[in-house]
Amino acid sequence: MRPTVSENTAWQLEDFVDSLVVELDKTRETLAVKAINKPLSYTVKDLALDLNIFPSYDGDQVRFVTAQPGQQGASKVTIQLSSITDQQVRATSKGPSPRGDVKIDDIKVDKATRKKLRKLGVNSVDDLQQIERKNVDLAKVADGDIDYRTLANQIQKSRRDQNPPRVAAVSLARDEQARPYLLIEGENLAVDKSFPPVAVVNQTLAEVMSSSGKEVRVQLTRDHGFSDANEVILTFDPFAVIKMNVKA
Amino acid sequence: MDDAFMPFHETLARMLAFGGEIVDEVHGVRSYIYECEIESPVELTVTRNDAGGLEIGSTPPLYYVDTSLRPSYHHVSFAARPADEADSE
Repeated sequence: MRPTVSENTAWQLEDFVDSLVVELDKTRETLAVKAINKPLSYTVKDLALDLNIFPSYDGDQVRFVTAQPGQQGASKVTIQLSSITDQQVRATSKGPSPRGDVKIDDIKVDKATRKKLRKLGVNSVDDLQQIERKNVDLAKVADGDIDYRTLANQIQKSRRDQNPPRVAAVSLARDEQARPYLLIEGENLAVDKSFPPVAVVNQTLAEVMSSSGKEVRVQLTRDHGFSDANEVILTFDPFAVIKMNVKA
Repeated sequence: MDDAFMPFHETLARMLAFGGEIVDEVHGVRSYIYECEIESPVELTVTRNDAGGLEIGSTPPLYYVDTSLRPSYHHVSFAARPADEADSE
């Protein structure tokens, strides 16, 4: 049964601390308003909270429920919040995520891999890259339990999903030798240098003459039977395939 | 949140609702509280709001008599200092 909003609910430590920090901020805001008319006002400096709780572990996450009246045998958790300087914050906190960073939660990897990564403090693709830059062999740290091939593929897929290919124009042109070719222009087209794009025109494989992020040129021959209505399928990389109907 | 509880920040703000300045006009002495440490048992409830966020509700002990069903007292302690001094640290 789903708990109602007013029911004493199970929580994770991270969520509780976040809420506690919000409560402290609200206290400071209230007291700051009070200080406008009352020069001598006080603010909370260090706060400790001893909680009587019942922990539970579902094999994945530890959750706590605060003890209620009449409940005996609770465990105790003490949370201490100290004031720290902005320098300490900079030294102990991770900077804001870079633009386009992908969270591990948003990547389709198996639950075990996600759990392993989280245990290692890896919450985003940027975290993984930081570890790679420091030349740490994650396979050894994680006892080889992580499926890196799937993970690498999923990361690439997530990145590609954020920057999908966009076709702005398709035109028919001729090269220096007067051979016809299709000029496909747009954004984020063939961005993976390690993967030569593959083109299929009217269900016949076509040669890709040149490719870049901005344009792709596809050679046309008689075999393609280019007519009034044509089907063009372009595979820019394993995660970006475009199918277009091109009218001549 | 149950009506018997109030948001945790309100509990803290109410605990800090004291003047802090002690003036003896007869002897011309003015004192102020430069630090105050508060420790108190509290009752807590942790609920989830409609947006899925946690809300911490608290209340100081409500009853001063022994009951068959004893409340579970959690414990809060904090130091309070004048706002202008705390800001300059």
